[in-house]
Amino acid sequence: MYKYDSVDKTIVKERVAQFRDQVNRHLKGELTAADLQPLRLRNGLYMQIHAHMLRVSIPYGLINSTQMRTLARIARKYDKGYGHFTTRQNIQYNWPELADVPDILDELADVEMHAIQTSGNCIRNISSDQYAGVASDEIIDPRPYCEIIRQWSTLHPEFYWLPRKFKIAVTGATEDRAAVQFHDIGLEVVHNEAKEIGFRVYVGGGLGRTPVIGKIIKEFLPRDDILSYCDAILRVYNLHGRRDNKYKARIKILVNAMGIDAFRDEVEAEWQFQKDGDLKLDDVDFDTMAEFFPLPDYEELQEGDSRIEKWLSLDSRFKDWYNNNTVEHRQTGYRIVNISLKEHAVAPGDITSEQMDAVADIADMYSFGEIRSTHEQNLVLADVREQDLLEVWRALDAQRLATANIGSVNDMICCPGLDFCSLANASSISIAKQINEKFTDFNELYDIGEVKLKMSGCMNACGHHHVGHIGVLGVDKKGVEWYQLTVGGDASNKAELGTRLGPAIAKDKVGDAVSDILHVYREQREDDERLLDTFRRVGVEPFKERVYAEVN
Amino acid sequence: MSVEKNLSPKNVADRSKKSRPKATPSRIQQNMASAKAIVDQKIVDNFIVHIAETEELKVTDLPATQVSVPLNLWLEEIDAIKSREGLIAVQIGVDEHPEDIAETLSDIDIIVLPFVNHVDGQAYSHAYKLRTRLGFKGQIRAIGDVKFDQLGFLTRVGCNAFELPDTEDLQTALRAFGEFSEVYQPSADGAKNIFSRRRAIH
Ligand code: SF4
Repeated sequence: MYKYDSVDKTIVKERVAQFRDQVNRHLKGELTAADLQPLRLRNGLYMQIHAHMLRVSIPYGLINSTQMRTLARIARKYDKGYGHFTTRQNIQYNWPELADVPDILDELADVEMHAIQTSGNCIRNISSDQYAGVASDEIIDPRPYCEIIRQWSTLHPEFYWLPRKFKIAVTGATEDRAAVQFHDIGLEVVHNEAKEIGFRVYVGGGLGRTPVIGKIIKEFLPRDDILSYCDAILRVYNLHGRRDNKYKARIKILVNAMGIDAFRDEVEAEWQFQKDGDLKLDDVDFDTMAEFFPLPDYEELQEGDSRIEKWLSLDSRFKDWYNNNTVEHRQTGYRIVNISLKEHAVAPGDITSEQMDAVADIADMYSFGEIRSTHEQNLVLADVREQDLLEVWRALDAQRLATANIGSVNDMICCPGLDFCSLANASSISIAKQINEKFTDFNELYDIGEVKLKMSGCMNACGHHHVGHIGVLGVDKKGVEWYQLTVGGDASNKAELGTRLGPAIAKDKVGDAVSDILHVYREQREDDERLLDTFRRVGVEPFKERVYAEVN
Repeated sequence: MSVEKNLSPKNVADRSKKSRPKATPSRIQQNMASAKAIVDQKIVDNFIVHIAETEELKVTDLPATQVSVPLNLWLEEIDAIKSREGLIAVQIGVDEHPEDIAETLSDIDIIVLPFVNHVDGQAYSHAYKLRTRLGFKGQIRAIGDVKFDQLGFLTRVGCNAFELPDTEDLQTALRAFGEFSEVYQPSADGAKNIFSRRRAIH
């Protein structure tokens, strides 16, 4: 993975010193809370209902075991012993004290981590495919490109006070696991006919109040031009994006108002000024960066070399875990292991400091010391030998990290909601529990198969409910929590927004409604259709009928 | 400000005076003058009064002292303003375009970028354009809601003079210029892209 050089180290350390000075000035009364607010946000520090919340950046979801141990120590020392992985591959702490935050950031800087630009109206963490570098459907490894963009966008002096937050995602695989069409800029690394590497560039996608699928602004952008082209998009946005209404300030609103063609013309005109300037990259830049992401030292393993078959037949819990939580690897004899952070009765994405330490140890022993965080709020060990799977499973199981529910309806993603977030209309974590309780029979869960259930506590859509196969949105009706359901959303290449099922549903009926939807699916499915496929074929009506028949 | 403002390239090119609204909320609302300023990282006495725009503002209304004038007045009365004593200082509001004064830049000594609210970052792009593609060599001065914690990045995009609210401690604010010794990206300060710098080492 990327290793900081002296420039990176200096910038991160000086950034901590700057923030320490800002906090000191604030505590001495020289910097008002109002003036501190946008500064602390750009260092990842929010004010939540009960306390501050610190969001630490995990660039494109990649961390090593040393970093994971630091995250564990911070949870123990400055928080209540746990952290929370987010849908943007970052980690949040819900209880740090303002005065401690500079020390926390210093500890992070020591292991090459930071919280820079994890909130505020600026360019946020670059996100990517959690299986980057190991996925069997990968065409080009996106990570070197992510890191290049991360550096360019970090403390960018001109694009630090944008109309609204700005998110960039990069994918390099046939199946888009990074939801690039739902980002302000989405980049798909592709080859052109001449086999040169470049990007298909999407712009103006996003969720939130006005969900929009990104539009293609450039079919093929040579990779040398990636920074100058992003620079041009950002400048047009900075100058023309709305600032009078925060709900209309994202770039998607600007692109829709101008129309993609006029927007493209404006960007192209802007781009001409610096296209061949200092931002232009060179092959050697990519080669140097790619060296940070080498293939691990894989062993030459034989197919069928392991005792997997035997284990599978002997232990049904192992078998369920293997089938649900592990994924095919490019390298023969290896598998990708998902670590479920969706244990029953635990808030999705939560992890204790003991569990973090254990994951670090397991990664050191079995997966080259690296870990990835996913959009689904789980973790991944990317390079596990098949012959080690039984031991890895046992070690994870001992930490309650082997719940065999990846990709199932219980593997839902969920924002913090009313329990932590001051913007929430409704709680989401308690609904997660309610749904979990409906599906305690794992055989039923497996029979239902892949369902991406996504839940947000308000229209801001941090839980990406619009693109859930089943989406749940908390709404407020005269001070009472209600829930709006959608079906058929999809964040992958076939990007689709969910269809509204009908009127909002009372809190204690959400579990029933989800279970109704899945019943209809099981009655109507043909062959090996997933919920999403059945929905596409039969439409919303049968689902609607069943859910509201019971509600009424 | 609405999204429809001058968006198509045609509108951007067509800068007739009529399309340029006066005295919008994005510009300074009343005349402003700080007691002190920071110029080229030194604290100096300030001598400029920044004149707020009104519908009726005329050159003859200006005080005899050193002023900065709104962009509209400058474009309407270039000759009258040029014939006044002192330096020529022109404001560009966040909803105005630096391209509008491209042809008259050589007559201007100081461009003033007023911040009504520092979280509105459009002026950063204005300064950048003025320094890079428009080649402005004079002073670029940020005024209004500009404090310690904005000075570093404003310097990078090309500002070299600042008027902070009189309540701010300027001596403390000078620390802002030494906060970072490294940067990743080029801007108007001559810094090089980190990737071209690394290329030179390899
Ligand atoms: S979706 Fe709403 S409730 Fe949930 S975290 Fe985002 S802002 Fe808070």
